[in-house]
Amino acid sequence: MTAADGNGGDRGVRRTLLSVFLGWLVPGFGHVMLGRVRRGVFFGVLLWASFGFGMAHDARLSLRDDKQPLLTGLQVVANLGMGPIDPIVRLFVYGEITYSMTAGDNAVQRVEKFRARERSPLSIYGTAYVWTAGLMNLLLLFDIWDIGRGRRGDA
Amino acid sequence: MRSHLFHMLLFAGLLSAYFAVLLRDDKRERIRFGLLLWGGLVGGALALAFLMAP
Repeated sequence: MTAADGNGGDRGVRRTLLSVFLGWLVPGFGHVMLGRVRRGVFFGVLLWASFGFGMAHDARLSLRDDKQPLLTGLQVVANLGMGPIDPIVRLFVYGEITYSMTAGDNAVQRVEKFRARERSPLSIYGTAYVWTAGLMNLLLLFDIWDIGRGRRGDA
Repeated sequence: MRSHLFHMLLFAGLLSAYFAVLLRDDKRERIRFGLLLWGGLVGGALALAFLMAP
């Protein structure tokens, strides 16, 4: 391997990592960055539609509960899979960017808002769409990595 | 929209389309795999529902 090859490899890894990050930042954009425009647009539309549909159906934006740290922690991870749009919608729903049920001064009001949303008859559907969108995007980050490292075909 | 059936069909469609494009490269294979997955999800859910409340 020559020095030039090594630099090319480093650039390839950096470009792939940047694409993975952009794929998390704006779902679908990571694929576009790697030249897979149709694939990126398809996944982007699918994920954003799922997320938007879920939010329109009173999706629960999970809060970490110290009584059930593992389960609620995983729910938060699923929410965060959609990237920065998650803290933005939390700002609208809770009035603050928060991920804990108990931390901070507004815990009581926050839990009330959380429970009110949870009581909505649509919430079970909305939550499924939003969590699934986040988990699907996390899985797509591996797809972006594989494409960036040349482990996938051209389809 | 509060129809369980509607959401089940839509959710299965969403997942099937996602995994078909993610896991298959050829157009025909994608359609076949997507339909198979969608049928499996919907059929499995209906079968499970029947077994739980026949």
